[in-house]
Amino acid sequence: MKKCKILCVCGSGTVSSAMIAGKLKEQLAEKGWEAEAVETSPNGVESVLSGGKFDLIACVSPVYQDYGVPKVNAVGMLTGMSEEQVIADCLKILEG
Amino acid sequence: MQTVFQDLVAVDVEAQDTEEIIRTAGQMLLEHGFVKDSYIQAVIEREKIYPTGLKLQEIAVAMPHTDREHVIKPGVCVVKLEKPVIFAHMGEPDTKVEVEIIFMMSILHPDEQIETLQKVLGVFQQPAVVADFKNAVTKEELFEVAMKHIG
Repeated sequence: MKKCKILCVCGSGTVSSAMIAGKLKEQLAEKGWEAEAVETSPNGVESVLSGGKFDLIACVSPVYQDYGVPKVNAVGMLTGMSEEQVIADCLKILEG
Repeated sequence: MQTVFQDLVAVDVEAQDTEEIIRTAGQMLLEHGFVKDSYIQAVIEREKIYPTGLKLQEIAVAMPHTDREHVIKPGVCVVKLEKPVIFAHMGEPDTKVEVEIIFMMSILHPDEQIETLQKVLGVFQQPAVVADFKNAVTKEELFEVAMKHIG
């Protein structure tokens, strides 16, 4: 399986980001990607990014600044309304 | 780990705006020893920056919460509103949704509570379960539905 590292961001860096981290890992595994996920709040993004190489940032809360790492809007994964779209967006970045 | 309790369930609650409903639900958590005095204000402030409204297929809900420093013990306060209150949508603060049910959470250890969180969000994703919540009229019915799906 190919490996990737994803930063999951939500308001408090706990609730919602943990939820999407789990789903992302599960669904990306089905597509052949072994995902390592780290959760943080928008305030923690800069310091976490400086500590490691991430392939993409999955946002539940908006991350306004550009850190040079591609972002995916992951709210659809939380509500379950557009999980496939979120995965498709992730794959486009990972495979593109 | 039980997070739904009879004292933390209410129906037909009236509120004009997000602040009022956060205060009302927060009061329930405070009175029953789940959160510290600082919790309510912390949730109000957090909701302004990181809104928690979620538009699902059949209904809109909200899951206000805040950091663990304001929490004493874990719980989920389930409140059905008499009429919808406007919340901003999570991740898209400019989008407004008319929320009918609030799931206000006091989270102490996110790792331990992953199961509860998954259940709450799982509720949101299944139209049949959402219908159960929508159809609960009395406090007892809502408590039973909440226990069944969240526990």
